[in-house]
Amino acid sequence: MSNNNQHKIESPKDRQNRHKAMEAIKLLNSIKEDFKSPVKSMDYFYDLFERVYCKNEALHSENVKVGTMCIQIPSEIIYALDGVPIRLCNGFYTDDEIGSDLLPQKACPLVKATVGHFASGNFSDKPDIVFSPTTCDQKTKSGAIIQTFGYDVIDVDFPRTKESEESREYFRKSIKEFTTKLSKFQNKKLSRKNLKASISKIGYAQSLYHELSKYRENTIVPILGIDVFLITNAFFFDKIDNWIEAMESLLVELDNRNKEKINAAGKLSPRIVYTGSPPIFPNYKIPHIIEQSDAIIVADETCSSNRMFNDMVAVDEWLVNDMLDSIADKYLKACTCPIFTKNDDRIRRIIHLAKQYKADGVIYQAFAGCTVYEMEQRSVLEAMEKAGIPILYIESDYSPSQHGQLSTRIEAFIESLKTRRRNKK
Amino acid sequence: MKYFAGIDIGSTSIKITLTDEEKNIIGFKTSASGSMFYKYAQETLDSLLQELNIDKNDLAYIVATGYGRKLYKEADENISEITANAIGAIAAAKEYGEIKTVINIGGQDSKAISLDSEGNVVNFAMNDRCAAGTGKFLDVVALKLEIGVDELGDYHFKSTGTPLSVSSTCAVFAESEIIGLLGNNHSVEDIVCGVHYSIAKRIVKLVKRVGVKEGIYFDGGPAMNEGLVNAIENELGKKIFIPKYPQVTTSYGAAIMGVDSYRYEQNL
Repeated sequence: MSNNNQHKIESPKDRQNRHKAMEAIKLLNSIKEDFKSPVKSMDYFYDLFERVYCKNEALHSENVKVGTMCIQIPSEIIYALDGVPIRLCNGFYTDDEIGSDLLPQKACPLVKATVGHFASGNFSDKPDIVFSPTTCDQKTKSGAIIQTFGYDVIDVDFPRTKESEESREYFRKSIKEFTTKLSKFQNKKLSRKNLKASISKIGYAQSLYHELSKYRENTIVPILGIDVFLITNAFFFDKIDNWIEAMESLLVELDNRNKEKINAAGKLSPRIVYTGSPPIFPNYKIPHIIEQSDAIIVADETCSSNRMFNDMVAVDEWLVNDMLDSIADKYLKACTCPIFTKNDDRIRRIIHLAKQYKADGVIYQAFAGCTVYEMEQRSVLEAMEKAGIPILYIESDYSPSQHGQLSTRIEAFIESLKTRRRNKK
Repeated sequence: MKYFAGIDIGSTSIKITLTDEEKNIIGFKTSASGSMFYKYAQETLDSLLQELNIDKNDLAYIVATGYGRKLYKEADENISEITANAIGAIAAAKEYGEIKTVINIGGQDSKAISLDSEGNVVNFAMNDRCAAGTGKFLDVVALKLEIGVDELGDYHFKSTGTPLSVSSTCAVFAESEIIGLLGNNHSVEDIVCGVHYSIAKRIVKLVKRVGVKEGIYFDGGPAMNEGLVNAIENELGKKIFIPKYPQVTTSYGAAIMGVDSYRYEQNL
């Protein structure tokens, strides 16, 4: 059919990129503009997300990119073998819609978005190899699906119990197996020196996060929770040295803000501990509503943020095998993911965070379709009730549509926390 | 010489098209529907006839369509705007090729129509409930941005940043979103572009409900907005055909129906 209009039509790839850019910029603009006293050093992170997600800038074109499908693949080993770890857990609604055509309707949006992203093959930093730990059912299955799209996917066995000595041994073996495979792929031997260096570097990055968290314990909190989510999310894909540098200057600014008593929130803003399915850029729907409703997130218990940084690798002997065992232990024993049979650790962690950060309440989000978080909801709610900590449980997905209903529920919860606080005084 | 009139009385404007017996367009005229559909339709028809120097008695057949079609009592026949739109689209795109899908954005509704190879309507979908993503919505946006509706296309192509999406396409809520964006000094170009994409996404959902078949025709007043056309093309990933006079396709279809009905009656 000939035609009378001469517009160029976007390729499907360009359209997907535009949709993602529109999602990204909407959130970034709102974070930059809707809050009263922005942290200047956050500009590095705002700019980073804009470069990667709006302008599709590749950050690692020089390096071998090792894609990881979950938190349990140790970055320490990847760096030591000259790779760059890129965590591919995805938060885009655009990719969720693509994945919806490939997976069951009721599947978890994070898994759908991740699979959708792989299906589109549209990466600014395309992984050269992908490691998929057998954590939850949906992630375990999606590894095999992604392989059919033509990616090099290697499963990493992960146990579903962590109490027993057997499971510990099992994962230690699994990590050694992973190391052998990556070492073969890279054609490089894992050296003691390199592994020690990467453990130290990641440990240093973690210590910067701990320092940042200290400021969030204060009565006057100098930084928004949503900004912290951006920082921790950036660790998924940023050049680690740049990230460290940005964190160092951020901490200097936070120290000044702390001295000048600059509050990122209001005087009465309830302090929230956030837990549940991980907020991954740009799906900050719930945290965003929380902080727009005059509350502040002071801590979180999620695998896209606190869980990455909280526990460090503790090494006894700086020998390769001992270091690998310590890494395996850190990634298994310290993990509070609800995939485990019993998970009292997670409850203890939440209560601990609520006390340490003097939280007024907990908000627990589960993605509709994220079965393990949905199932663990009951035991967590019971435990919080016993501990006298108010908690709100919310189920949601990546779609932008239910914003109105969600914000009503969250606002009401936050108002109740304010009333509670007033009555206490 | 005999003439045939198609009168499309829409929620926002009245469109009248006159054809000859060979179904060629002789002339057309549009005016605002205002508060008195019937009276304004009469006046518009009279002035069109006057302009073209045609005697009212030479009008062989009048077919009314659109929301207000039942109010036009003098019509020989009235048909739904879905049928009229389909007939008009096929005729208007005759020289270009076969039309399989029609997208129409009107003043207060939008629809997608799927046609079979004979031009029969096989399926259609309409927006419901509200003015989201319709011509009215574009009016509101232009008003808030203090630019003319006819300038929206130019602004769209001048956008250099990421389009700023407006999540609610509800005309009322979107207004406050736009005020917010303006308040934060975002460029009018990026806002316009984002608004077009928001409408386009909605329209494409509608089209997907009836099935996207190549040979896509887009009409209604908003089809004159090239920015919106571009946004819909990008969302569909397909070229769409815009007729020369997108606002009168439906009235043209009604006039054609008039020719056919007239011939049929003569042969009885």
